[in-house]
Amino acid sequence: MLLEAQHLTKTFGDHIAVNAVDLQIEKGSFTALLGPNGAGKSTTMNMLIGLLQPTAGQVTYDHDPKLGVVFQGSVLDDILTVRENLQIRAGQYRHIPADRVTVLSQQLGLTAFMAQRYGTLSGGQRRRVDIARALINEPDILFLDEPTTGLDIQTRLAIWTLIQRLQREKKLTVILTTHYLDEADAADNVIVIDHGRILAQGTAADIKNRYAADRLTLTSPNVAQLAARVAQQPIRRTADQLVFSLPTMQAALDILTANRPLISNFEFRPGTMDDAFLALTGKEMR
Amino acid sequence: MLAMIKRNLLLYFRDHSGVFFSLLGALISFVLYLVFLKKNMLASWHQMPDAKLMLDTWLIGGTLAITSITTTLTSLALMVTDKEKHIADDLTLTDAGPLHLFTSYLISAAVIGTLTQLAMFGIMWGGFYLTDGLTLSGTAVLNTLGLMVTSSLLAVVVNAAIVQGIHTVDSLGKLGTIIGTAAGFLVGTYIPIGALPSFAQSMVKFIPGSYVAALYRQFLMDDKLKSAFAGHLATRHTFERLMGIRLNWSTLLTQQETYLIMGLIFSGTVVLVFGLKWLQIQRRRQYLRER
Repeated sequence: MLLEAQHLTKTFGDHIAVNAVDLQIEKGSFTALLGPNGAGKSTTMNMLIGLLQPTAGQVTYDHDPKLGVVFQGSVLDDILTVRENLQIRAGQYRHIPADRVTVLSQQLGLTAFMAQRYGTLSGGQRRRVDIARALINEPDILFLDEPTTGLDIQTRLAIWTLIQRLQREKKLTVILTTHYLDEADAADNVIVIDHGRILAQGTAADIKNRYAADRLTLTSPNVAQLAARVAQQPIRRTADQLVFSLPTMQAALDILTANRPLISNFEFRPGTMDDAFLALTGKEMR
Repeated sequence: MLAMIKRNLLLYFRDHSGVFFSLLGALISFVLYLVFLKKNMLASWHQMPDAKLMLDTWLIGGTLAITSITTTLTSLALMVTDKEKHIADDLTLTDAGPLHLFTSYLISAAVIGTLTQLAMFGIMWGGFYLTDGLTLSGTAVLNTLGLMVTSSLLAVVVNAAIVQGIHTVDSLGKLGTIIGTAAGFLVGTYIPIGALPSFAQSMVKFIPGSYVAALYRQFLMDDKLKSAFAGHLATRHTFERLMGIRLNWSTLLTQQETYLIMGLIFSGTVVLVFGLKWLQIQRRRQYLRER
């Protein structure tokens, strides 16, 4: 294990932000900490990085790793250019090759705006510069705190592809927090966290299997008769449609074959991360 | 550390309006003085030869002392801003180390303090040269330039001791206003120390900037004092005491004694400021070691 947290707990006064979190991060893995606002994701991450002291529990690394961190807000200077910002940070590390910033700017596609002031960049460009900053010291682990929040869908996708490429090509271990469910879908390891507790952990497929029910929508000329023939209670019923929430695809197939003459159309949707997430964290807003 | 100092200086000097207002802030007390107080003081000095030039140099000395205090305080604001915007978190992840980071803030503030004093000196001397024909000897100028560096260093560590207890830019701004307003009185620039009630006089002697102001005046006014008080040593001493050219402990302080006091304040504050920082770092290290 590259990184292990045991019983990690953080309290702020009476408020328990993180409550006895255990987690293990394997080398080269891609972990998403998924949770709604205020779930304790960032606090957990800050304790893993060492910026925040846990109230109880501990974090153990298997060796002294090099860390790269993309913070939620910008930590670079608006009135300095991209090159100045990166060069200054590079100067803060020991043993950084002189051409590191140039190499990074080519890898991450920053060359077009290296001479531009950081404050004048678009959200997506800034994020790429932030990631470049985190990669200056060629880290073993890259932490990203909500790297795609507030970006449009195209930019989110581009940033996401970039992170995945980095993980693959550089054998980076990536740990990120997000509240976008589709992003967690691509991770090796998803940790659903809420109210400071881990609610579920595993691959995205695992979590969907366990917590997200499949949904079968049947359209019928005779809804009453169809409803009577199916043992399961529908979760929604309209004049010509019945909607069932089913644990497996097999159950859906059984219903479809047994009632074929009564069905004019159907739609089957496997459980999504959204379903699993809502099942785990509830529907109330925070 | 060099990269960090470069960053801090770039941030300060690239913000042109910031530099402008920082200079204007230092200049405003000077301008107000010229408009409201100069005439009054000149009237009471009328029997002295070269009264105008004497007052000009006296004012330059006091203003430079104020400048060193206020500009270094404003420059140290970056340390608080970085903490507040979590830039400090990002910096602690680098190999630079917290003590180096801290020192780099102090050094860049001292550089800014020195350069601003230099600019102020140029502006004031230039102004008085044009209006009153003020000239200064080479020794006076060299001593003054040297003191700019010393006074910046002193002001930086004293201000750093104050800034360490402040965590938001907002409260630092308010503190800056208070210090900026008070500084002119506390180092005896607006009203000569001799005209103050005795409690206020003792207070002035507690402010490190007063010693800086006294030294500046000694360097800048020496030639004029020599000629004005030739053969009247006792009168000269009275004048020096009243105008804060030499501060009075049990006797009037000599230049060496004044430097020594400044040196002691500087070393004491350095020990305090770095000691506190070191303790902070040790606590954090201990936690990381336990981890």
